[in-house]
Amino acid sequence: MTKLILRSLLRHKVRTLLTIGSLAVALFLLCFLRSLVTTLSAGVESANQQRLWVQSAVSLFVDFPLTYQTKIDAVDGVRRTCKFQWFGGYFRERENFFAQFAVDAEMLLEMWPEATVIAGSKEAFLQDKRACVIGEGLAKQFGWKVGDTVPITGVIFQKGDRSAWEFQVAAIYRPAKATLDNRTLYFHWDYFEKTMEDETRQTPSVGVIVIETEPGANPTPVMATVDQLFENGPQRVQTTTEAEFNRQFVSMVGNVPRLVSYLGGGVLLAILLACVNTMLMQAREQLREIGVMKALGFSDGSTARLLLLQALLLVGTGGGLGIALAYVSQGGIAEMLGPNFPGYAIAPATLAGAIVTTLLLGLFAGAVPARMARRVQTAEAMRPH
Amino acid sequence: MNEPMIRLSRVTKSYRRGGETVAVLDHLDLEVPDGSFYALMGPSGSGKTTLLNLVGGLDHADSGEVVVAGQDLNALDGRDLSRWRADHVGFVFQQFNLLSVLTALENVELPLLLSPLSRKERRDHARHALDLVGLSDRLHHRPAQLSGGQEQRVAIARAVATDPKLILADEPTGDLDRHAADQVLELLRRLHEEFRKTIVIVTHDPLAAARAERTIHLDKGKLDRVEDTGRGGGNR
Repeated sequence: MTKLILRSLLRHKVRTLLTIGSLAVALFLLCFLRSLVTTLSAGVESANQQRLWVQSAVSLFVDFPLTYQTKIDAVDGVRRTCKFQWFGGYFRERENFFAQFAVDAEMLLEMWPEATVIAGSKEAFLQDKRACVIGEGLAKQFGWKVGDTVPITGVIFQKGDRSAWEFQVAAIYRPAKATLDNRTLYFHWDYFEKTMEDETRQTPSVGVIVIETEPGANPTPVMATVDQLFENGPQRVQTTTEAEFNRQFVSMVGNVPRLVSYLGGGVLLAILLACVNTMLMQAREQLREIGVMKALGFSDGSTARLLLLQALLLVGTGGGLGIALAYVSQGGIAEMLGPNFPGYAIAPATLAGAIVTTLLLGLFAGAVPARMARRVQTAEAMRPH
Repeated sequence: MNEPMIRLSRVTKSYRRGGETVAVLDHLDLEVPDGSFYALMGPSGSGKTTLLNLVGGLDHADSGEVVVAGQDLNALDGRDLSRWRADHVGFVFQQFNLLSVLTALENVELPLLLSPLSRKERRDHARHALDLVGLSDRLHHRPAQLSGGQEQRVAIARAVATDPKLILADEPTGDLDRHAADQVLELLRRLHEEFRKTIVIVTHDPLAAARAERTIHLDKGKLDRVEDTGRGGGNR
């Protein structure tokens, strides 16, 4: 019987292979899209409860004055702060683009305990104003190691002679949580500020300030106080929890979960129709043989099972390939997505969901032909058409 | 007196065609003795194939009694009727109806999947049946690699693989040339004479009908006449 199922499917090899191929692509896409959502959600769920993010009330892309930090530091419940400025440079070629931030060096490694230094040292980073700390992924990508000098050409913040900024790799960090990007370069705010003042005679502004609250402090009044501080400008700010900040960051590219659900639903429906169509063609082609089998004594149920098993095998093979492909390629995709989706991975629930979806697709695709096989009268099936 | 292999009493059967009811068998009475070889003849639409389908349990009569191998077929339905077919009837069709994706050996083995035989026993039975029809050198050929006559011989091997008492053949030589047809008819004769199978064939071919012991002529769903061909040994 197994032979019959296999050979019936291979009767039209091209059609079967195309169906398997489209199923593999569909299930791969489903796993991929679902994983984008779970990765984004993981970023929100793993957010630190003690960290609050202060940004311009207008937009994340609007800066605010450096003087805000001192005022924020004085707010009740604030333990310490770390300011960030998006540098937006590249290494040698514009294609070598990755995230770089000017930060308060002393605060960075203390406020983000989830980053562990795996090479070099925090002290070396703090001692040298031109030092930088880089993520493990970045070190792998460009083959950088501790002691290397890294030239970064500024796009937003350029030197007068357009020469590259040079940073010394003092430490390499590894995120304990996959949701923290491992391909970012952090360097000293002091170096950044001094260079910009020398070059432009202006003090650079701040992109974001991250607050760490006192242990046990209620973040709500802290957020309200900070926002009230700058209500009359010159730049109003918006303070949120880290989870909310992450959520807003995700929503900047639209309602991703909803979009992904629509896409996934569309992919599923298309592939279901394609599979049902393939299986109906299979059933019609085998109708006479089903009649013969019934004449030989096979029951209605066993002929129905024959087609149902064909559908399950067809869909299972295609779906299984797609799921396997999504699983083995997750590392490569995570590399490709980089800091946009830090910690991209196929969650066990996504895998389980994909397997169940494949099974259901197989059952749906096989149900109509199986019903056809069950109901067809033996004499009718064998009548020349 | 022995119970006949086939006994039909006042059997009627009609079909709906284009909104009209067409009577195909009309209160037909018929008996076919156990171990006999009968040919069914008649013009197209006379009800030959319908009669064969009723006797083989592929269809149900609208009314009347159809008793085959001692079983009232009207009393069976669904799975029981399938089971009964597997145990008691071997079918041979005009268009051979082999499964194109299976080899000759696998086609013959197919009905044996319903038996309690082991895989090896099934293989042995199938080989033996193919040997019987002279195709032991074509075991692993697919139907497309066989001639029409060879395909029909494989179909006969499949029909006898389960050792049924009754073989029903619907135009078994209809798609064959004379030489191949003769081979098939000779095979059916051997099955009848050497293995005492009850055989009923539907045919338009007088030469094929002449191989049987008796010829039943149907016309408009009724029994027209029964002729002795002179080949039979009495009521055997």
